[in-house]
Amino acid sequence: MKLLRVDMDQLTVRWEQVPAVYERLGGRALTSRLLLEEIPPSCDALGRYNKLVLAPGLLGGAGVTTAGRLSVGAKSPLTGGVKEANAGGTAGDALGRLGIKAVVVEGQPEKGELYLLHVLGDSAQLLPAAYLRGLGTYATSDRLRAEHGAECTVLSIGQAGEYLLTGADIACTGEGDQHSNHAARGGLGAVMGSKGLKAIVIGKADARSVPLAEPDLFRAAARRFAQELINDPKLGPKGGTHLYGTAAITAAVNEMGSLPTRNFGSGSFEGAATLRGEQMRETILARGGQIGTRCMPGCVIACRNLYVDKAGNPIVGTLQYETIALLGANLGLDSLDDVARLNYLCNDLGLDTIETGAALGVAIEAGHAKFGDLESIAGLLRQVGEGTVLGRLIGCGAVATGQALGVRRVPVVLGQAMPGYDPRSLKGNGVTYATSPMGADHTAGNAFGARKEVNPLGVQGQRELSLKLQIISAMLDSTGLCLFARPPVIADPQLMVDMINGIYGWGWTKEDLDRFNRDVLRTELEFNRRAGITAADYRIPQYMREEPLAPHGATFDVPDSELDAVFDGL
Amino acid sequence: MDLELFGQLLPGAQRRQTLNLEGPLTVQDVTVLLGLDPAEVGLIVINGVQSEMEDRVPPDCRLCFFPPVSGGS
Repeated sequence: MKLLRVDMDQLTVRWEQVPAVYERLGGRALTSRLLLEEIPPSCDALGRYNKLVLAPGLLGGAGVTTAGRLSVGAKSPLTGGVKEANAGGTAGDALGRLGIKAVVVEGQPEKGELYLLHVLGDSAQLLPAAYLRGLGTYATSDRLRAEHGAECTVLSIGQAGEYLLTGADIACTGEGDQHSNHAARGGLGAVMGSKGLKAIVIGKADARSVPLAEPDLFRAAARRFAQELINDPKLGPKGGTHLYGTAAITAAVNEMGSLPTRNFGSGSFEGAATLRGEQMRETILARGGQIGTRCMPGCVIACRNLYVDKAGNPIVGTLQYETIALLGANLGLDSLDDVARLNYLCNDLGLDTIETGAALGVAIEAGHAKFGDLESIAGLLRQVGEGTVLGRLIGCGAVATGQALGVRRVPVVLGQAMPGYDPRSLKGNGVTYATSPMGADHTAGNAFGARKEVNPLGVQGQRELSLKLQIISAMLDSTGLCLFARPPVIADPQLMVDMINGIYGWGWTKEDLDRFNRDVLRTELEFNRRAGITAADYRIPQYMREEPLAPHGATFDVPDSELDAVFDGL
Repeated sequence: MDLELFGQLLPGAQRRQTLNLEGPLTVQDVTVLLGLDPAEVGLIVINGVQSEMEDRVPPDCRLCFFPPVSGGS
């Protein structure tokens, strides 16, 4: 395995041996550790001392189902702390097969210059990319695929990343003509923009798989893993995730009173019936769209969809729960067509739909548009691409929008917008938001669906539940697994150990794996501590401790002492 | 009681029903009455509160059955 260093000061690239300290790391474990080792934690997130790190997980490139996610890490301009966001698509698999442990983008070019990194086999080069300036992510990836071949993978930023807006994300292409898998959270698109990097093109690898240290062990474990996913009632061919996509949970979250509605003003939306997964499936199938497709090569869950208009023309793929929650119910919109159109705009501009949905909710509360009115909301969103002052504020996320417009009800933790679960009625997620080094992030430890463990409305047990989920998430993000693929490896961690040992021959035990997972969190907490982040920065907004949330009348009442003790068990 | 079924529990069943049931019943009893396979039920919500098979069902409640679900993305 090797590391690709991209020096944007000198506009050079170089390959290097993987330093020993990074050898047994991958995905989030690697991106976070590299940031702790190599950048000043207090640096300007959009300055030359931050680094943008792209790393496949430990299983990347080995052909394990659902294990092709790409981790992208940097100091976040939103949270001020360490950040990892990961995306499906083909990038993680492609880098893994090329034997690339990580791509590390360092330094900063002269202001205003724009470049493209092209990785092809053992060669890599920086190319001028001024001709891509101002293009959205769809046009950028179309153009680069036309130039470099339809089978290449393209990572790109849109206008939001070019403008250094802190809600910007990074788009990644997938199989076929898929454009939009996003490393969405934390403003990492702005970091890529600050490096003057418009896009990365990765040529398709010739290798079928990474070298295997113990092929029989690996193949047996990988086969069993895939079979257990297929057999899982949630994930298999008859499971809700496959049939309805991530929108399978819309109705349940609403029923439990946790669906963000009108700037987190309620946990229950009267229009939720037309946003739920069954509705989405019926609509897509009736119009000739696609359901149950993959975002990563070989995925057996296949939860992706292609949402089309009444004439059967694609609007966006894939339409997901978090987007439906934040751009739908949170904005008072009850039409999936409306959500899909806003989703497309965000994807093309290169904006995180969660951050942007929250920012739009705040802007609406300030009177700049109307809840439930697509045209006024889309008008605000278009201003992001036009570069107006209000558009740039919205593109910088919920905190910037709230501060500029004088809105106190801003649903964020550590500067990052909450995803589609109000923490007042799903308190386990609130504990994760208020303690994760990633800020308010559902992928950092999502308590939704933790049946028979802890009452979502209660306080007791949330601390332990959140820690357990955060440790599991660290493993998933570091191995490149989709978070939906967790059941088999939670039920039997030896399965993960066998896959890792089968590839690398490290002779790990379950205890080694557990230590590895916990070290990810320790590394990230240490980074944030050195960045000057304190317990006060992680708190749930005060209004959520004071304003009861309908329909349960719940407030977030987990004591600070409980939050501060979450990592005592780490 | 108002009853609603979701997702894969729906085919062949009525989405919404109003039932008048007598006597103290558990959620498990209601699944039997409806002919639902408890193994296919992943999430039970009574009046917006996540519940379990052994929980009592209040007479005038809203009871929802969901198939197994997991957190979104």
